[in-house]
Amino acid sequence: MSQVFKVKVNGQHQLTVDASQGNTLLEALEQAGLEPHYHCRNGFCGACRVQLTSGDVTYINDPLAFIRPGDCLACCCVPASDIEINQ
Amino acid sequence: MSYSTFNKNQINPLKEPMFFGNSVNVARYDQQKHSVFEKLIEKQISFFWRPEEVDVSRDRVDFQALTESEKHIFISNLKYQTLLDSVQGRSPNIALLPIVSIPELETWIETWSFFETIHSRSYTHILRNLFTDPSEVFEDIVINEEIQKRANDISQYYDDLIFYTQLWQTHGEGEWEVDGEMHTVNMRELKKKLFLCINSVNALEAVRFYVSFACTFAFAERDLMEGNSKIIRLIARDENLHLVSTQQIINLWQYGQDDPEMKEIAEELREEALQIFMNAVEQEKQWAHYLFRNGSMIGLNEEMLCQYVEYIANMRMEAIGFDAPFKQRSNPLPWMNKYLVSDNVQVAPQEAEITSYLVGQIDSEVSASDLGDFEL
Repeated sequence: MSQVFKVKVNGQHQLTVDASQGNTLLEALEQAGLEPHYHCRNGFCGACRVQLTSGDVTYINDPLAFIRPGDCLACCCVPASDIEINQ
Repeated sequence: MSYSTFNKNQINPLKEPMFFGNSVNVARYDQQKHSVFEKLIEKQISFFWRPEEVDVSRDRVDFQALTESEKHIFISNLKYQTLLDSVQGRSPNIALLPIVSIPELETWIETWSFFETIHSRSYTHILRNLFTDPSEVFEDIVINEEIQKRANDISQYYDDLIFYTQLWQTHGEGEWEVDGEMHTVNMRELKKKLFLCINSVNALEAVRFYVSFACTFAFAERDLMEGNSKIIRLIARDENLHLVSTQQIINLWQYGQDDPEMKEIAEELREEALQIFMNAVEQEKQWAHYLFRNGSMIGLNEEMLCQYVEYIANMRMEAIGFDAPFKQRSNPLPWMNKYLVSDNVQVAPQEAEITSYLVGQIDSEVSASDLGDFEL
């Protein structure tokens, strides 16, 4: 199954992410030049929280911060489908 | 109901609420109602560090070369942080341990407080290096008006909860007169006080440290006071973890994943909780004003610092379900991030660039395929 997914940011930017590459969503956003928020990059500070408006993500590291419904932590997840996020 | 250090009733900790249920008896961690606290304990322990590991001897030379206004900024921040960690090193234990009801949270509270005492010890380590006799600095913490104002706000919710818990544990529910004042003690009141207390601690861990962190890292950006900055990085990493725990508690309540009564209280006291946060933000801005009253420092001024407080407050408030109240959506101090990245914190040379260095860690599972590349 293909691991390449489309990520739509704030309804305008679109990028493609290959989830099998081991890059987190945060790294993918940075590579696309989008300057996402971050602090710990380790799943506990919650600074990289983005709204996940559609699609699913998989966590490659266990996040410690509370993930409110409709949010995801970009620093420790990869897309599991085409997703739309707001930051 | 009086507190027992070992509750002899048979209880199922998986069915207990986080607070105000049966007191904990067996400290067992094989099963957890809220496993996140167990994970927080493991993470925090893996972060263990000692202030003496960080060499601060060069800081003395740097400090002498600072301008008077910069010295004021540096020392005032250390005083404020000493106050914060003095409170945090004891209060979670005194206020929360008597009412906690699940073992993993009980141990998390103890672990959390213990790390705050490491922070307190590190301020002594820094100050002892800068001054032959640091007494004057420590003594000013209880005299200085600006610090006093903050101490009040920080400790009042703890003190209130502690006092009512004591009344409840010695007299039970009812109306009690103490020193001529009437106090109504019932479970609902106690839970409200707990809710406000956790919100006040959350605001403390979320924004109160960050003005001083920003100043410290601004010095480090100029290659000044680097020993101090190394220590503050370690402290910032720990504080982030502590913040996660209070955010977890608040969210678990809000989403009804713990005590259903706490969900009601969270809705009832939403405005008050918001006010606690906004007051903390306002106080931090006033603190920034106090710091820069004698002049600013290179790379940082009052306005930038206030913008940073707003930026970080937006983020922290969204994490517990409030709307972001400030316009500041971009990071006004982008260089701060490199000091806050957990993986960049250097603990000891052999541990550089890794998050948690486990002593003697080995992989005990070896499968035949691991040896696939070997040829004889």
